[in-house]
Amino acid sequence: MALLELKKVTKVYQIGTVAVHALRGIDLTVEKNEYLSVMGPSGSGKSTLMNVIGCLDTPTSGTYILDGKTVHNDEKKAAENSTNGMLSDDDLAYVRNQKIGFVFQTFNLLPRITALHNVELPLIYAGFHKKERIEMAKEALRKVNLIDRMHHQPNELSGGQRQRVAIARALVNNPSIILADEPTGNLDSKTSQEIMQLLDELQAAGNTIVLVTHETDIANHAHRVVHFLDGLIASDEQTLKGKG
Amino acid sequence: MGQLFESVVMAVKAIFQNKTRAFLTMLGIIIGILSVSLMGTAISGIDQVFEKSIESMGQDVLYVEKFPWFMMNDDWWEYRNRPNIEEEYAQQILDRSSTIAFASPSSSRRADVKYGTQAVEAVEINGTTWQEAFITSVKLESGRFFSELEDRYGTRVAVIGYDIKKNLFPDEDPLGNYIMINGNKFRVIGVIAEQGKFLGLMSMDNIVTVPLKAMKSVFGRLRRISISVRPKEGYTVDQAKEELTFIMRGLRKLKPREADNFAINQQEAFRQQFSNIRFAISAVGLGITALSLIVGGIGIMNIMFVSVRERTKEIGIRKAVGAKKSIILFQFLSEAIIISLIGGIIGILITVALVGVVQKFFVAQLSFSLVLISLSVAVLTGIISGIVPANQAARLNPIDAIRYE
Ligand SMILES: Nc1ncnc2c1ncn2[C@@H]1O[C@H](COP(=O)(O)OP(=O)(O)O)[C@@H](O)[C@H]1O
Ligand SMILES: [Mg+2]
Repeated sequence: MALLELKKVTKVYQIGTVAVHALRGIDLTVEKNEYLSVMGPSGSGKSTLMNVIGCLDTPTSGTYILDGKTVHNDEKKAAENSTNGMLSDDDLAYVRNQKIGFVFQTFNLLPRITALHNVELPLIYAGFHKKERIEMAKEALRKVNLIDRMHHQPNELSGGQRQRVAIARALVNNPSIILADEPTGNLDSKTSQEIMQLLDELQAAGNTIVLVTHETDIANHAHRVVHFLDGLIASDEQTLKGKG
Repeated sequence: MGQLFESVVMAVKAIFQNKTRAFLTMLGIIIGILSVSLMGTAISGIDQVFEKSIESMGQDVLYVEKFPWFMMNDDWWEYRNRPNIEEEYAQQILDRSSTIAFASPSSSRRADVKYGTQAVEAVEINGTTWQEAFITSVKLESGRFFSELEDRYGTRVAVIGYDIKKNLFPDEDPLGNYIMINGNKFRVIGVIAEQGKFLGLMSMDNIVTVPLKAMKSVFGRLRRISISVRPKEGYTVDQAKEELTFIMRGLRKLKPREADNFAINQQEAFRQQFSNIRFAISAVGLGITALSLIVGGIGIMNIMFVSVRERTKEIGIRKAVGAKKSIILFQFLSEAIIISLIGGIIGILITVALVGVVQKFFVAQLSFSLVLISLSVAVLTGIISGIVPANQAARLNPIDAIRYE
């Protein structure tokens, strides 16, 4: 069974009287341990897709199944004339906490608290005890090679280091999938390469990764590339790495 | 649960990151809690003082007098023109009544009291009968009250108040010694136990009680006689009062349509008057409390809205990594409650300090239950003013919140 399955997913933003069709009917399947890049021009709907997959936003219509769990289902909703097809707010929070590790372009760390505490955050909401939390958070920081900076606050870290903290936070709860929306967008090319190497390692260790980028050499770290155009998937192919 | 504890920790941190703002917000709460706890302290203080004072008046004693204890200024002339209360009424009341056990006329005036070279000025000399001892609940420290016989013969014996003993007999037993009242020798036969101050102001111990007849022989005509009356066992004050009114009207030969031309006073009148004062204090206190708590509550609500807006991105991030609505609600609600609670605690501390000062002059005590009530009020204010902003925070859409700059 696929880890992630989208069927005819649309997303419409209503701004006053204007409707922006960010996703126009996406069919996408991602298998466990896949390494997928999403490319496409600005405004083509990449981030919207990531937000839907990451349960930060809900689709307007279509079906979304994650890890065997129906996150959104239009037909059920229509048939039963209820919200049964969709997960409740609390269920979505649970999915975000347990199954998703999100990495943002702008890091989105909490200021004024340490790297360690930032990485602990998902574990707090998962209900772990302090001792366990600290152990797990340290383990995650070790994986991203930042254990020596665990007591630093975000403003005392470089961009690359911040993104590594964010990646540690994304993987600390052993999610089913790591979603990275332009994770290297705010980084210089050398740091970008370090971050990509880290993602490669995580994928090699068994994680599933979906990555948004508009740099071809970044995209080519993945095994499969999906091209977006105007809210639709224009192409879906294996990279050299994927074929090889 | 760990998650809740973490939320409280985060809330406390958030408050300490903005100490000045939080303190300013607290002012209303501080004043509100200060006023509620001060009011409570004042009321329980005057309650205590009042109960102690009124004890000396006797729980179920009626006083037949010319003037009522509490009257409107306008009526004064009408009361003044009433006939005087006569000493003889006491016996006449007893003769005619079936509900009254004791009736004792008394009259008082001020005079200097001397012992050897010592003197106390303007002592209240109270002339009464032996029955008085059975009517009011005055306790003796030593000696005895005068007897029926001493009363009948007008023997010059005196029961002195605690202040008189202290001033005239600082290191001597007064019993058996002679004091001079208006130049006349009286033998001390009893000392009244210390009574304290009436309503915390006038000393009730600066008094000498003598037989009424002895008083007459020293001062001549008696002024303003008051007859104190105690009902028999098994009869209520109200029953006695009803009969007493009937008897007095008979003595005064009043026609059915004529109004009473005497007053029957009782402790109840004090109680009534006192409860008016008490009510006034509570009303003012509650008014100030309510006003400052409303102001304080609005302040907290406002600051919480600001806090939610400033931390929209933070809320988005927390939600993105799995914080549920309820936990975000709890985090912001606890922030509001903690601000309010700290304000309440500061208010209580100020009250404690003030009460410590006031205690030197007046009975005042901050009770534990009052502290609990005050702090609950503070918590409640926090909940009420925090619930709307906290709910706003909890309902934010994660992606919109995370994009907020
Ligand atoms: N919250 C939003 N409200 C309204 N329109 C939005 C919102 N988010 C995205 N859009 C619109 O949806 C389209 C797709 O945006 P997005 O998914 O961010 O594109 P990309 O990430 O590929 O640059 C764009 O036209 C964008 O303006
Ligand atoms: Mg984007």
